[in-house]
Amino acid sequence: MSASEARSSATEAMHEEEALGKAYDGRLLLRLWRYVAPYRWQVALTLGLIVPLFLVEIAPAWIIKVGLNGAIGEVQERPTRLDQWLEPVSGVLDAPAGLDPLWWLAGLYLVSALLYSGLQYVNMYVMARTGQAAMRDLRRDVFEHIQKLHLGFFDRYPVGRLVTRCTNDVENVAEMFSSGIVALVGDLLRMLGFAAILFLEDATLALLTLLVVPPLAVVALVFRFKVRAAYRLVRVRIARINAYIQENVTGMREVQLFTREERIRAEFDEMNSAHRDAWFMSIRYDSGLFAVVELAQSLTVAIILWRATGLASAGTIYLFIDLLRRFFMPLRDLSAKYSVMQSSMASAERIFQLLDTEPDIEDRRDALALGERTAAPSGVVEFENVWFAYSGEPQDEADWVLRDVSFRVAAGERIALVGPTGAGKTSVLKLLTRLYEPVRGRILLDGVDLRDYTQDHLRRRVAMVLQDVFLFSGSIFENIALDRDDIDAARVAQVAHAVQAHRFVEALPDGYASEVRERGSNFSAGQRQLLSFARALAHGADVIVLDEATSSIDAETEALVQQGLHTLMEGRTALVVAHRLSTIEDVDRIYVLESGAIVEHGSHAELMTRHGLYERLYHLQYETQQRSPTAAA
Amino acid sequence: MGLRPGARAYRGLVSAMSEPVTAGDAAAGRRSALRRLFSYIARNKRYYGVWFATTLVYTLGFVALPRLVGWTYAAHEQGLGADEIVRRAKWIALVAVLTAGVRFFSRTLVFNAAREIEYEIRDDLFAQLEKLPRSFYFEWRTGDIMSRCVNDVNAIRLLLGVGLLNVISTPILYFGALGVMFSMNPVLTLWVVAPYPLFMLVARTFGRGIHHWSLLVQEGLGDLSNSLQESIAGIAVVKAYAMEGVTARRFEKTNQELYRRQLGIARAVASMPAIVGLLPAMAMFVVLLVGGQMIVDEQMKPSEFITFTMYIYQLTFPTFLMGWVVALVQRGAASMQRIDELLSIEPSIADGPDTAAVAALRGEIEFRNLRFTYPGSGGDPVLADLDLHVPAGTTLGVVGPVGSGKSTLVSLIPRLFELDDGQLLIDGVDVNRIPLRVLRSNIAMVPQEAFLFSMTLADNVAFGLPRTENDAVVRASERAQLAKDVAELPHGYETVVGERGVMLSGGQRQRTALARALALDPRILILDDTLSAVDAETEAAIRRELDVVFRGRTVVVVSSRVSAVRNADRIVVLDAGRIVEAGRHAELVAEGGLYARLAREQAAERGA
Repeated sequence: MSASEARSSATEAMHEEEALGKAYDGRLLLRLWRYVAPYRWQVALTLGLIVPLFLVEIAPAWIIKVGLNGAIGEVQERPTRLDQWLEPVSGVLDAPAGLDPLWWLAGLYLVSALLYSGLQYVNMYVMARTGQAAMRDLRRDVFEHIQKLHLGFFDRYPVGRLVTRCTNDVENVAEMFSSGIVALVGDLLRMLGFAAILFLEDATLALLTLLVVPPLAVVALVFRFKVRAAYRLVRVRIARINAYIQENVTGMREVQLFTREERIRAEFDEMNSAHRDAWFMSIRYDSGLFAVVELAQSLTVAIILWRATGLASAGTIYLFIDLLRRFFMPLRDLSAKYSVMQSSMASAERIFQLLDTEPDIEDRRDALALGERTAAPSGVVEFENVWFAYSGEPQDEADWVLRDVSFRVAAGERIALVGPTGAGKTSVLKLLTRLYEPVRGRILLDGVDLRDYTQDHLRRRVAMVLQDVFLFSGSIFENIALDRDDIDAARVAQVAHAVQAHRFVEALPDGYASEVRERGSNFSAGQRQLLSFARALAHGADVIVLDEATSSIDAETEALVQQGLHTLMEGRTALVVAHRLSTIEDVDRIYVLESGAIVEHGSHAELMTRHGLYERLYHLQYETQQRSPTAAA
Repeated sequence: MGLRPGARAYRGLVSAMSEPVTAGDAAAGRRSALRRLFSYIARNKRYYGVWFATTLVYTLGFVALPRLVGWTYAAHEQGLGADEIVRRAKWIALVAVLTAGVRFFSRTLVFNAAREIEYEIRDDLFAQLEKLPRSFYFEWRTGDIMSRCVNDVNAIRLLLGVGLLNVISTPILYFGALGVMFSMNPVLTLWVVAPYPLFMLVARTFGRGIHHWSLLVQEGLGDLSNSLQESIAGIAVVKAYAMEGVTARRFEKTNQELYRRQLGIARAVASMPAIVGLLPAMAMFVVLLVGGQMIVDEQMKPSEFITFTMYIYQLTFPTFLMGWVVALVQRGAASMQRIDELLSIEPSIADGPDTAAVAALRGEIEFRNLRFTYPGSGGDPVLADLDLHVPAGTTLGVVGPVGSGKSTLVSLIPRLFELDDGQLLIDGVDVNRIPLRVLRSNIAMVPQEAFLFSMTLADNVAFGLPRTENDAVVRASERAQLAKDVAELPHGYETVVGERGVMLSGGQRQRTALARALALDPRILILDDTLSAVDAETEAAIRRELDVVFRGRTVVVVSSRVSAVRNADRIVVLDAGRIVEAGRHAELVAEGGLYARLAREQAAERGA
């Protein structure tokens, strides 16, 4: 990828992470539903609970109203509409004979309150459980999808962002289940319900008290937009701060060596105070909303008393105060729920974008699986007029990485690829392991096109040893066997012995069970190489593909590495990308690449007599080693 | 192959890192953390003073409202006219408006104060991190430092915001509300209040439950991202060895475990509102029973009943929060301790009272009987009995096997590590007495695996300059053979190099680091195995340039390859932290020791 692309994708990435998204997007919700669908019975349960929950929530207020009026002995002149509606069930409130009516009512009150708590618990738990189960499935899909993507994708997409997709973004979407859309809809329904009850109880009073709602809604809306803008700033700024700390902690040696402390501190302070100021803004609106909702709630109480005292019963007044308190509660964190929705939607969008990225390389339906070999495998490798570019058929001729490359390696032969940096050596290896596919031409293994093998099959037969040895955290044993059941401890010990890795492994306190830290950081470069040889050997491939390491290893380890290499390649077809010409003088044939094309081939001796690129490279390298590095004085 | 001394030191370091960094006196740690916390609060006492005053006023209004409601309704009970009722209702409205206004200020103040302190702590942390030496960064993992800068700062903010708000205002609220209730109806108040303390305990247990599960979930998320990160970073291996199935199974295990923990937290969170609802339910149950009887017996008026129920609901939420806040305060206190631990570290490399008035350096370097051990490595010295003199303007080559202490030796010159035994003199002055700024601005070092920042290429090259000047950037880049690559970058010098310079090849990164050092125009130049990833042709060109650059400067070249140092004025050979040979190339080859052996082996390897 060119730097301009990198730059634009970097800014794009910044925007991508910063985007808040719409609070509601039907298309996304529909896609999310596919993950929720397996748990539809749980969803049905939570939906079914809405009405019972509402009933047990308002029941206590009704009970107190009736009890209060009864205790006072206040006989209402005319029953309210709510009383009329509830006439059929009001019999429950009459205490059975011989029981104190107060005890009966208090008991009923407690039962309904307990029921409410219980149902609420079930409702919330089931809702969260549904969300988490769906998110677990989504996470699994994301991971499996990531693994299918072809290698080029990972050059463009930083690891950190992929991790974010699978963790933070999925968490954000899960939030929607526990406190986003479902809670939002539930709250709205409840508020409507409360309003309906109040109207039934006393229409005039209800109308008067609910008059505060429209202005309140306007204020809430205004504040919500302000909070949203402030919150967006906060998110962007804290992300920058943390990235800045991380980068400078990692690069602190350079900061100190180049005495940049003061400048960096000033820059940091600027970011830090900008973040604080964004919060100040957000806090102001948030507190404003809080205060306004509280004010509205108190004002309604004043209205109730002003209009109803002496006119309505004490029970009615209680009912109004109680239900209005419940009515206003959800309004307080409405803005919080709204921003949850926004960030969930943005996250869902990012996740689905990733899931929509096509994996470039997939098995053909009739591909040869392991065990279905046509001929006896021997390890013959052929490149037939292979053209390759990382971005498909290129616009510009200059973008071809390989141009019309053809060669044949017989079974058991060893060949080397040499050439200046960027000549396409490593690309040849990546094509042979089908990490990428040729744009034109084809590659054959034992006469069969690579695309006709399953990837599994191909990768068991072609073992690749990369320049950057990658070790997983786990034991040394696991790193050699790579979880293959057919590789046991004896086999691992045997291969380690063969490549001379056993000496340092067995010197470790736990031998093959010794822990490999993340990325093998507790082993030297040379030791890591030996382990990777053992790994390749254990897997018994017919073809070994090797990208020689350039990192400096001390002479002693290097000797071991060279020996290990010989063992590894013995009896196998081997393709080696060599960076140091001296190490490959004994291969069967050397191919010299320049700008993606093969310009010379032959043995070392033949190439040296030809006075071409190979000879030039050879002498250049030799001279560099001999030349003066430091001709001071 | 046996473990080399360097590797042994490294393993010691690893084991030292896995042990807790400090055990120390726990109580003293807490005291120091509290002192620091109070100093931050004291610095913002204006905020907190005003806030406390507004809280008192707010409480007053908050407590008055239910009483006013009862008072208004009582007008009806006492048979006072509608006018009196309206007058009293107006009082409710007035108090409501005032309370809301005060509430706004009070909330804003306490949360702003918390953000202000968050800002101060973060600035202090960053300034502290800049002062800490390499040895600190060896002992502390980046993740740990980040977690203190992010999670712990957050926890303190919560402690100082929501935490302090509730810790201070809830007792006042209680005091006021219970006082009023008691004056109205002592018996009923006692009945109603009885379950509250118990409730606080219950809430605390649940708060802890949530805390426990949220830690587990955080951990689970950490495991998940580690597992992801590893599979993605190793995707080439995963694909090359067809391990997709295996890694997917591994991932699924962590995924399932995370799900299990999330259900745990879901249970705890779901039980919260259920429990919050139970407290007023119990209190109301009592009010219905006892109060109802009192009304029947005409010992209590309905207005009092309404007032009581309002107080009950008002006290519920703060009571519940108290349980929550206790957990919050505990967590905040622990976090303050973790931050204090970091802030209390005395930077061991800093200018002291005996710093000499040195303004410029000539570049003479002298090690006297030096011995160096990495902190926490278990006592194996990396360098020992080292005596070495490098006259100003000469070139020193340092060679030796991996782990022989070469890099350590050169990192002592710009004082990246504290010397523990022996002396290092620059121009005859003890390095510890040279002002750090003077020392480091006269030395340019290209470390092994140099770090590039995610800024433009030009800014990276000009990293050590007061500002980015084009001429200086271009000159340095030309000398480091970087200029021709720059021409091919789409934005030239303005290209952003990406995180850690990912947009550049290994060789380009090394040359950028070299250009960065050359831009400084230093008296002492240190090259630590600088050109390992640069191809042969470019390396030759760089060496030609360097020959010019080196003129008149003191240069230290470190390499494991003999060929890189053969023309130095003097070469020292290190083995296991000691100088085993010293001299010019020809002398050392003639001597037939380690140097000669290395030279032979490396020549053979090259087929020379």
